[in-house]
Parts: sequence; structure tokens; C-alpha cells
Amino acid sequence: MADTVLTSGLARPQALRLAAWRPRRQTALAFGLLAPSLVLLTLFTYWPVAQVLWQALHNQIKIGGPQAYVGLANFTALFADAAFRKALANNLFYAFGTVIPSLVLALGFAMALARSSRVNALFRSLFFLPVLIPLVAAASIFLFIFLPNAGLLDYHLAKLAISGPNWLGDPDVALWSIMGLTIWKNAGYYMLFFLAGLQAVPADAYEAAILDGANPWQRLRYVTLPYLKPTIGFVMVIGLINVVTQVDHVFVLTKGGPSDSTNLLLFYVYQQAVESYDAGRAAAGTLVMLALLLAISASSLRTLERSFGEREP
Amino acid sequence: MTSTTRRSVLAGAALAASFAVAPAFAQAPTEIELFFPVPVDGQLARDMTALIKEFNEKNPAIKATPVYTGSYDETLIKTRAAMKAGKPPAAVIMSANFLLDLKIEGEIQKLDELIKADGKTNDAYMGQFFRALHGNAVLDRSVYGVPFHNSTPLLYVNAEHFKEAGLDPEKLPSNWEELAAAAKKVTKREGDRVTRWGIIAPSNYDYGGWILQALTQSNGGQWFNVDYGGEVYYDSPSMLGALTFWSDLVAKHKVHPAGVQAGGAVSTAFLSGQASMVLLSTGSLTHIRTNAKFPYKVAFVPRNVKNEVPIGGASLVIPTGVEGERRKAAWTLINWMTSPEKSGWWSRATGYFAPNMAAYDLPEMKEFIAKNPDAGIAVSQLAYAKPWFATYKTVPVRKAIEDELQAVLSGKKQPKEALVSAQKTADEIMKPYVEQTALKLPTN
Repeated sequence: MADTVLTSGLARPQALRLAAWRPRRQTALAFGLLAPSLVLLTLFTYWPVAQVLWQALHNQIKIGGPQAYVGLANFTALFADAAFRKALANNLFYAFGTVIPSLVLALGFAMALARSSRVNALFRSLFFLPVLIPLVAAASIFLFIFLPNAGLLDYHLAKLAISGPNWLGDPDVALWSIMGLTIWKNAGYYMLFFLAGLQAVPADAYEAAILDGANPWQRLRYVTLPYLKPTIGFVMVIGLINVVTQVDHVFVLTKGGPSDSTNLLLFYVYQQAVESYDAGRAAAGTLVMLALLLAISASSLRTLERSFGEREP
Repeated sequence: MTSTTRRSVLAGAALAASFAVAPAFAQAPTEIELFFPVPVDGQLARDMTALIKEFNEKNPAIKATPVYTGSYDETLIKTRAAMKAGKPPAAVIMSANFLLDLKIEGEIQKLDELIKADGKTNDAYMGQFFRALHGNAVLDRSVYGVPFHNSTPLLYVNAEHFKEAGLDPEKLPSNWEELAAAAKKVTKREGDRVTRWGIIAPSNYDYGGWILQALTQSNGGQWFNVDYGGEVYYDSPSMLGALTFWSDLVAKHKVHPAGVQAGGAVSTAFLSGQASMVLLSTGSLTHIRTNAKFPYKVAFVPRNVKNEVPIGGASLVIPTGVEGERRKAAWTLINWMTSPEKSGWWSRATGYFAPNMAAYDLPEMKEFIAKNPDAGIAVSQLAYAKPWFATYKTVPVRKAIEDELQAVLSGKKQPKEALVSAQKTADEIMKPYVEQTALKLPTN
């Protein structure tokens, strides 16, 4: 819609100059058509963003008193909080530990199931199934799988006379358990993108590689992966955004425990807002998260553009 | 958008919807809404609807609407969101240990005037409830909440396992010595692998602090200053003893699994016979009674120094900003819901105590206790109960010790260093309050 307005404006520079002071009918129409979404966006997106910005600079000084301007005190308190630094470190570890294995698995699934056949279609749906389950529901299922003694994992381990660790209750293990759930949940989703990406790899590229005597590993390294670069970049963005914005499973399974070992940034913000009733610090945490998300998206999108550029020299 | 803002938006929208249906005629009944959490299971939401329906039929001048608001924590969030939107609910069933925080932030109102208007003194009014429940409802000598349903921790024992191990199921462990000895006898091992644990106590957030408070009080400790919200006694001998005892059950006696045990997992372990003894809330009584396929017994929480446990549960409060007819109507509803008959009915449906002592004099309640002696034992422990842990910023102050408790149970820290660190964190959190109250002194 914006495009139409733009091109039509360029097509009639004369008219534009003459009637510059009067809103053009087309512009008015465009805004009229945009109004419903604009109003909603303003109400539910931009206005809350403005509120968060305001809140990040304000806090209660007197207990039970009104909000007052405190400058950057919320940010100082945020970075001084060991729990926040822990959540940040956990989130970084969680990001690397889930996005990379999910990517590798997804690529593996996609390559194994790239050819269309009935069996492959069945396996594709099976691997995609976890995506259809909402994260909260998936977490509730895993609550049973991870249940000590009576749970699915421990039940089968007991048959082998092995006692499993306390999956969600051991600070050394809990984050790994949560990462396992995330990988299970996401790998199938990313597989879908790789399946699409693989369709774009030309068959003659493989033929040429085979004629040149490339082994399967070399074909993957020098043919498949370069062609998949944009897909990988795109999936990376989605994956990284997911690890910052999805904490439903932390909420259901561990509430960030034991001893903050599974606390992630968004859950930390929730704790500050709800449990500590510290709106200022919660807002500051939200802004730090937003900044991280923007940085991730911007850098990944640039990499994406570059890889698109490479493909067509 | 953060989950919090999304939640508040949702709560706001739900609220707006509930207010949209306003009656158009003049002699309209006073419309009030009650926010209620369901901490135990889904059936209760229906029971609550039935209860309020009966109230509306008996009080045509009032139209009360029950609004289900999730867990205790979510109820607090939604209440605060509704208040920020300028539409506070007329009454809320609020977790009893949030009352102090709400009072400090000026979010709930004193009920003194309403009690006085009924021709009663605060003492006479509170006199109808168990003494143990007063501490979390009466703050600075003013009544802020009316106890609705309450609980204490309780020891549940699998009688079959006791017999099997040559122990007398009629003589349950009453002190820590006997508890550790019994736990050792009933624990079963296959090589290094434990197939049945002697005892399990929940240590997840919220539950863990409550159980540790029970052990600390059984060790003669206080945990926190009941009269002042800026003091906790984490780094104290009574607490060190309690934490070391729990840690010894894990590391030394090896009768309790390591790491965090969530409340739900603990009741599952008990019901599936993988734990012979558990410490759980009396609120789990109905659940255990319906699902246990073996004879079980209940007993007081074993003591080291004296019998004492904290209370748990919820009270009815009226948020700040509810005035006039709505306030009067809320008060009528609160008194109706906490009357002996209704209190008793709710208790039998849920397993919680009826806070109103007169409920236990009613014939239907006497019959129920005769049929379920375990419920009777649970009630008699109330005589040894004290207020639930509540300070300025209760949840983070409690989390300070729970994080350390979890580290100790996982073998990451020694009890003493854990308590020193918990004390430091807690003092840091309460510092603004302390500076604005106890340390606010005349400057000249």
C-alpha cells in the first residue's frame, strides 16, 4: 500500500508541487485504510514500549509512594544483581546449547528426508509433531518424563538398574534437561526450512561435484552448505529470538531453580515485576533484552544479505 | 511485549468485560466481584461457583460474581493489575503471607471500621478464628484480612512400609531422632541404588521455605520477626540445626534424595510407594485420602526442641479504593463465606482447615472427623501453629533462603556458609524498608 502511494507520488511531481499544502486524497485513503492496524499497533505495541521506556527511568523512592524519576539507577541495580548476571550467562549458554544442536539435527533430518516418498512423508510429520504442541503443554508432558523415580525416564533407567540424576532438581543437570526439551521442540520446525532450502540446491551442482570425485563430506561442505547459507542465517535468527522470548517451560518446570540455575532473562524480568514488585528494574531488564534482540536481528539480517549477495556474483 | 504486560492487558480486558454488563434499572443490586485462586484442583472452581450462587439467592440486594484468577501468585498479579486500571475487585481470596506486603504498599484496607459498625471489637471479631491465624491477618493491631482456608505441614506415613520394616504404625516418629531412625529402617536399596526413600520433603520455591520454617520452629527458632517486617533470623543456631538436619538426611543418612524435590513429585512418590514418609501440606489430605491404595497415617511434624509449625492458606481482603455500598456488600460476602456452616463445607470439600472454630462444633463436621480421624489430627496441630513467614517483599526474601537451601540439598554448599549468604541477600532486599522505618531516626 505504501508502495502505491510512493510511486503514484513520483509519477506526478507537478501535481504534488501544486497541491503540497493540501492532503492528497490517496494519502488520506491510505491512512484511512491503515488506521485500524495503526490504532491497534499504537495501543498495544508502541504505547507499552513508551511506558516501558518511562518506567525504566522511574521507581518508587518512598515505599508505598508514587513513582519518581531515578535516572539510570534501575540499570545500575540491574547490572549489580548477581541473579541478573546469572540469568544472562544462563541465557547465553542456553542459546548456544539449543540453537546449534537444533540446527545440526534439523539439517540432518532434512537431508535424510529430502527425497519425496511415503515413508519420508511419515517421518517428516513425526519430526514436525512437537512443533504442533504448545510449549506449555510440552513442558507439562516433560514434567512427567523428568519426574524423579516414577517418571518415564527414571522408569526405564530403573529397568537397566541405573538411577538417573534428579533431572530438574540438580543445579548441574536442570538447564541441560530444559535444553533437551527445547531441542526436541524446535528441531522439527527448523527441518521444515531446510527441506525448503534443499529444493533450491541445483542437481547439476551435485553432478559436477560427483564427477570431480568429491566424497559425501566434501559435497556437504562445498556444495550443500554454501547453497543453504541464507536458510541457516534465517533459522539462526528465529532460533535466537526463540531463546530470548520463550520461557513457558522454565515457568512450568523449574521456576528458574534450583538456585537460579535455569533462570533466563525473560523469567528474571517476570520475577522482578511480579515477585519483587520492582517495576523499574523489570523495565530496565526488558530494555536490555530488547537491545539484545535488536542486535541479534540486525547482525543476522546483515549476514543474510551478504550471503544472498554471494550467491549471485 | 513481556509476559507481565501481556498478562495485565489480558486481566484488564477480562475485567473490562465483567464490568460491561451493568444493569440499567434504578433499584439494581450492588454488583461486586470476588477474585479467587484455586491452589489445589479444578473441581474447586465449580464448588466456588455453587457457593456464590447460594449467596446471591439469599442476598437479593447484592450480585456477587466469582472470578477465577489462577494460582495464589496469579491472583496477586491480577488484583494489582485491576487496581492499576482503577477497577479493584470488591474482595479477593489472597495468600495469607502476601497481606503484610499489600499493607506496606497501601493496597488493602483496614477492616476495623466495618467490624466496629457491627458492634464488635477487633479482639471479639478475631476470637472466632483459631489463634494461630491471627498473626497473618492482624497487622499493627488492625484487622486486614479474614481467614478463609488454612493449612499446616503434616507428616504422612505409609503404614504398610512401617509394618514391613518391623516398626509400629501406631507409634509414629515424634522427634528428629526417631524420624531419622525410622527413615533408615524403611529405606530400601539395591546395591548403591535406592528403590525406596525413607523420607522426602518438598524443596521447590514456596514449598521449600515453608517446610524449612516448620523444621526451624520445631527446633525452637522463629525464622522472622512476627511484629516487624524488616527482620529475618536466617543466620541463627535454630536455623543452622534445621538446615543441617535436612542436609544430613540427604548426605549422611542417605534416606532422602538429593537436589530439589517438587511438591507434586513428592505426593506422587508417596502414592506410588517410592517414599515411606513425606512432609506435605494438610491441603493434600483429600488428594492422598482419595488416591492412596494402602493404609496411611498422619502425625505432627517431628520436633527437636518443641512442636511448632507455620500456618499456610488464604484470607479474604478488601483492596484499597473499594468504597460505599460495594464495600458493605463485600463485607457481607466475607462474613457469609467465613461463617461456621460455609467454612465447614469448604473444609470438607478441599481438605483445608475451617478457620472458624465454631465450624468444628457442627454435627456434620463432627461426623466427618469421626469418619476421617486423619483430618482430626491435622486440626489438633493448629494448637501448636504460629504465623506464616511474611516480611517486606516476602517472596524475594524467601527466595534468598530457598536458593541456598537448594544448593545445600544438592551438595553445593555447607549449611553455615549458605545461611550467612542468605542472611546477607535478605538484609539487602529489606534495606529500603528498614531505613524508612526502624532506622529512620530524629536527625537533630
